[in-house]
Amino acid sequence: MAKNVAVDIAEKIVDSVCTALIGKVVGTFGTVRGVVKEAVEKALTRILTPKRVINILPEIQAAKRKGRPYVITFIGVNGVGKSTSLAKVCAYLQSKGLTVSIAACDTFRSGAVEQLKTHTRCLEARLFEKGYNRDAAGVAADAIAEAKRLKDDVVLVDTAGRMQDNTPLMRALAKLVAVNQPDLVLFVGEALVGNDAVDQVSRFNQALREYSTAKNPRLVDGMILTKFDTIDDKVGAAISLTYVTGKPIIFVGTGQTYSDLKRMNVKMLIRMLLR
Amino acid sequence: MVLADLGNKITNMLNTIATALLMSDVDVKLVKKMQTEVKEQCNIDEMASGVNKRRMIQQAVIKALTNLLDSKKRPFKPKRGKTNVFMFVGLQGSGKTTSCTKLAYYYKRKGWKVILICADTYRAGAYDQLKQNATKAKVAYYGSYTESDPVVVAEKGVNIGKEQKYDIVIVDTSGRHKQEEALFEEMQMVHKAVDPDEVIFVIDSSIGQAAKGQATAFQSSVDVGSIIITKMDNKNTRGGGALSAVAATGSPVTFIGTGEKMHALERFDAESFVGQLLGMGNLKGLMDV
Ligand SMILES: Nc1nc2c(ncn2[C@@H]2O[C@H](COP(=O)(O)OP(=O)(O)OP(=O)(O)O)[C@@H](O)[C@H]2O)c(=O)[nH]1
Ligand SMILES: Nc1nc2c(ncn2[C@@H]2O[C@H](COP(=O)(O)OP(=O)(O)OP(=O)(O)O)[C@@H](O)[C@H]2O)c(=O)[nH]1
Ligand SMILES: [Mg+2]
Ligand SMILES: [Mg+2]
Repeated sequence: MAKNVAVDIAEKIVDSVCTALIGKVVGTFGTVRGVVKEAVEKALTRILTPKRVINILPEIQAAKRKGRPYVITFIGVNGVGKSTSLAKVCAYLQSKGLTVSIAACDTFRSGAVEQLKTHTRCLEARLFEKGYNRDAAGVAADAIAEAKRLKDDVVLVDTAGRMQDNTPLMRALAKLVAVNQPDLVLFVGEALVGNDAVDQVSRFNQALREYSTAKNPRLVDGMILTKFDTIDDKVGAAISLTYVTGKPIIFVGTGQTYSDLKRMNVKMLIRMLLR
Repeated sequence: MVLADLGNKITNMLNTIATALLMSDVDVKLVKKMQTEVKEQCNIDEMASGVNKRRMIQQAVIKALTNLLDSKKRPFKPKRGKTNVFMFVGLQGSGKTTSCTKLAYYYKRKGWKVILICADTYRAGAYDQLKQNATKAKVAYYGSYTESDPVVVAEKGVNIGKEQKYDIVIVDTSGRHKQEEALFEEMQMVHKAVDPDEVIFVIDSSIGQAAKGQATAFQSSVDVGSIIITKMDNKNTRGGGALSAVAATGSPVTFIGTGEKMHALERFDAESFVGQLLGMGNLKGLMDV
């Protein structure tokens, strides 16, 4: 718990480890500590290994063959690093030779559009924006149509941060997702967050399910965990988030520059957690 | 026999409370310390028969938590007839820029002449954000699109504030974290240039176990005067991380942020904060078991 795993989830892990240990005979050479550690490692690896592997690049190629851009939407609470992560993902995709455009669908927070403008200028990507106080779902739809016309490979949709218990704002987000049916919905969470992590992601999922007008509502497909560079070894949020969603952490943010985006490394994470 | 049983019950109850505190992100060490303190305070042998033990323990816990929030330090009060300078610091995305505007708006409505300075030359769109916020709040602002050194902008801004006889100058800075030394050095340089009357540390209420370490680092690097806890409109947030940060810095909390708009700033109230922290509803239920 000192490593910032949510309390409920820490308890569940302990339970499952206990179950695994019951009836196990400690071999003459193995120490008790060793056996327990191994069981814990196994339980954590199981949690952190995604059930559905997401390979963005092939999926983008598949969309391209169908003559449409691949759409990724970034969602999450305020200030976690959605827009910055979006810019990092843009740089990553560009480095793979893809053309990327960005949809400025945070039409609420001051400076949100200019923030993306600065990024697209640095990255030489195209920005689609309609200024402030617009219907975000509509801006996204226009951006995607424009990207299709201009044959972009990928559209990255930025959204405004919102608290998971703010019903009107959560409804608006569900609408954006339902109307535009993005290929990938990425939940952005920060490694700094404590027990609220679990509530955040489950409430975002719940809102996408309940407020959606679509027949098959799109839920969170994967996650980005930011600010990994600010937490020393308190990496527990990764465990909590993956445990509740069963969805993979696709990238980890490790700083404020474009290159500070890493693939999630399960082994390293567990080492930090058990240190 | 009866006494031993009672001891067990108290231990159980304390464990339940400890779990509630951990669920609220209170620092693990702090929880342990509190457990010991409460145990000592509520010595079962000395408890008069007939008193409600549950209540006593509950009170002891609430008192211990409220004490942590009750800083001996008093927050700085701006004085009329001089230029009072505030400097905002904190982790990335904690809500500094938003809280700066809220505070500017708060003092403006009280009749002070306020100017906002954007000394965040790093984050994309930072100056536009502050500018748009200031415009909405109808307060003056200063910043630069071209100058990349925050020390230069901060110094210029504060000078303008003094020359033009503003009552209050509020300096916004970039988000930073203790792991990156260069960022902390930069903060110290801005601090030196600005020479603020009060450094305000802004912390997100949903922060977990990393809170204490970060807060301590800010405290020892730029003498934090007071704290603003943001995003308290998230009703699920219990604020235990923020509490641990407060305990670590020993600085008083002055305001809480309760929304994104500029009027969403409330005076801090220790008792209701502790209430939310313990999830009073839940805890009351637990206490009756
Ligand atoms: N140290 C560190 N800082 C980060 C990371 N990711 C984002 N940040 C910083 O966090 C702050 C907030 O980032 P944004 O991308 O604006 O966050 P957001 O979620 O888009 O915020 P809103 O749109 O206001 O809800 C900025 O100062 C970023 O530079 C990371 O991985 N590490
Ligand atoms: N719901 C809610 N959102 C808040 C509150 N305070 C700030 N925010 C939001 O949190 C996000 C980050 O706020 P900023 O003021 O940009 O944070 P910052 O500390 O200046 O960020 P950096 O400059 O990147 O370090 C924005 O989306 C704000 O609207 C609050 O009290 N409640
Ligand atoms: Mg954003
Ligand atoms: Mg800021």
